[in-house]
Amino acid sequence: MASEKLLSEQVTKQTLPSQASQNSLAKASTIPSELILQIFKYVTSTADLKSCILVCKSWCRCGVELLWHKPVFTGYGSLIKLLVTLSRSTQTFPYALLIRRLNFSFLGEHVSDEILKRLSSCERLERLTLGGCRRLTDNGLLKLLDKADGLVALDVSDIENLTDAVVELVGERCRRLQGLNVSLCKKVSDKGILAVASKCRSLRRIKLSSCDIITDESVVILAKNCPHLLELDLTNCNQITNDAIQPVFENCTQLRELRLACCTKLTDESFTETMPALYEQLRILDLTSCALITDQTLLKIAHSAPKLRNLVLAKCGNITDEGVYHITRLGKHLHYLHLGHCSRITDHSITHLARHCTRLRYLDLACCTQLTDASVFELSHLPKLRRIGLVKCALITDQAIYALIENRVVQHTLERVHLSYCVNLTVPAVLELVNSCFRLTHLSLTGVPAFLRPEVQQFCRQAPKEFTPHQRQVFCVFSGKGVKDLKQYLNSTVIAQQRNNRIANGVGNINDQVVGPVAAVSADIEESVVSEAEGVGGDISEGGEGENENRHSQNDNRNRNRVSDRNPEGEDGDVGNALLDF
Amino acid sequence: MSTIEQKKVKLTSSEGTEFQVERSVAERSVLLKNMLEDVGENDMAIPLPNVTGPILTKVIDYCTHHRNDPIQNHDDDLKKTSEDIDDWDAEFCKVDQGTLFELILAANYLDIKPLLDLTCKTVANMIKNKSPEEIRATFNITNDFTPEEEEQVRKENEWCEER
Repeated sequence: MASEKLLSEQVTKQTLPSQASQNSLAKASTIPSELILQIFKYVTSTADLKSCILVCKSWCRCGVELLWHKPVFTGYGSLIKLLVTLSRSTQTFPYALLIRRLNFSFLGEHVSDEILKRLSSCERLERLTLGGCRRLTDNGLLKLLDKADGLVALDVSDIENLTDAVVELVGERCRRLQGLNVSLCKKVSDKGILAVASKCRSLRRIKLSSCDIITDESVVILAKNCPHLLELDLTNCNQITNDAIQPVFENCTQLRELRLACCTKLTDESFTETMPALYEQLRILDLTSCALITDQTLLKIAHSAPKLRNLVLAKCGNITDEGVYHITRLGKHLHYLHLGHCSRITDHSITHLARHCTRLRYLDLACCTQLTDASVFELSHLPKLRRIGLVKCALITDQAIYALIENRVVQHTLERVHLSYCVNLTVPAVLELVNSCFRLTHLSLTGVPAFLRPEVQQFCRQAPKEFTPHQRQVFCVFSGKGVKDLKQYLNSTVIAQQRNNRIANGVGNINDQVVGPVAAVSADIEESVVSEAEGVGGDISEGGEGENENRHSQNDNRNRNRVSDRNPEGEDGDVGNALLDF
Repeated sequence: MSTIEQKKVKLTSSEGTEFQVERSVAERSVLLKNMLEDVGENDMAIPLPNVTGPILTKVIDYCTHHRNDPIQNHDDDLKKTSEDIDDWDAEFCKVDQGTLFELILAANYLDIKPLLDLTCKTVANMIKNKSPEEIRATFNITNDFTPEEEEQVRKENEWCEER
């Protein structure tokens, strides 16, 4: 380092800037436009960028390119203003050709065929997102897509009027298409998909969720023609049979994401007979309600797709402990597991799961009615657990909640906890939970008698519109601010005061409030929790706690470092799950 | 850090002044890295006719300070705001405007992405919360629009409101 410094100084002496060279330095006005563009990329406010385009002509060209590349609309009004600009007879720039990406999904029903027609001069569109623009028909779409030769991604999901005519045109025009989402376009049939599959050979992602007139034919030709597929979503395509799955496994060797939820005709054969011995790229597999599959499928999957990260087996009622044992082979790769309604599984396999799949972030065990506190004791050691679903695990008691808190790692990770219909839970345990888990943003306690009181329910979320009066009565879900309010309220109650007194007496010097994740304080709480557990519980099930303690303390430090990496797949609609379980 | 003396690389600025830097410093520049890989062991100075001595000095300063930074992935940094400039970098950018723009040109020419990002961010920060007139004054730019042209551009872009 020192010699480097010396060198620099020496150099500086040799070449002090002379007055002459000072004058010939670059100026803003002589900077080439590609570098002006580079600067503008850091001008993140639209207001500032709008000022930039009025500075001079060359800045204008650069700024306008950025502003129009992916127009961001604040509302319907700004879209209309943009259309006015496009319809002007003289335009400073060929604005329509600057538009590469359009996303109207947030404008939903405001988007009409007329609007699309007025955008038909946008011939250089690359990405078009129209999901949920339900008023649209083939009319507007055909006009807009007719010149969209360069389209790479198209989302027309949930446009119920859309027919094969649009999909066929896409196949004809958009040869470079890589992503297509026609989910919920129930009129789309094999005819449309065949057109796309035979022409758009570079397709990588296709979502056909709820296109329920689609048959094996579509899937077979997609698999054969589009070997680069990364994502295939066939959710609710309930005509699909085992015959469709074989060519997928055979041809699409790069597939990362396969969604087969509610393809109810699928059996073990889809996997045991046709899945290659090694199908390494697969990361996400959704088999919700594929009720015919058994543990045999899980055995095959765990061997063939060892890096599987997300596995959804909700409502696969044949799954037993044996199947879960197979899954544990995935070890640390498994981040997300949904076993809701797999009611045959017991504490035995969940214990095994918790000890092997130590990087689980999201686990749903709703309606696994045989599970007891013993499962939760084990799960409380998962160092990355962010979301745990125990809806209708009615055997769960307060001891399970205390176990969750006792583990100081989970305190730092838990964000969403679903405890609806865990009818044995009481206020003191939940109070400890909300006080300890400072990341908690969602807590569901629907149908838990101890919480069905107006003074508690006042902080809960509005029940969904479609709920019956009875469902409303027992609805008790807290999210965001609701969790904070609940926490504040519970802490103001007698129970909380009793608890604080207990802690204060036991340990002495504690500052006025015992909330928040201060390490020293949590340690104290932990003590009190333990003493409470001893007082109330007694039988803490099988599976020596001491053993777990040891394992936990080993993991503790190692895992404390990273607790906040986000789940790339997002939450799969907790509302949806909650609804299912009511 | 290795204690073994690194091979020095010779660079010549536009005025013909010769600079000697350690190879690891020179290699912060993708252009130089590729050149050095192509020519192999060689004592010839690499001419940089587009970079003046004073600017090359600054560039070497920067590369020396950042010689051990991990190589960043392209475009990752765009997600960050223009505010996250560390103290050393901020101090480094306290130069007159001409030098700042020369640094942008040099970083672009020599292909030193982090330096290009830093200098562009610095200029972007100078643009913040200014009117077009104030921006022109700051950068000494002549308004070459006619009033009619300016008005039309303003109208045409009225649609984009604050995000």
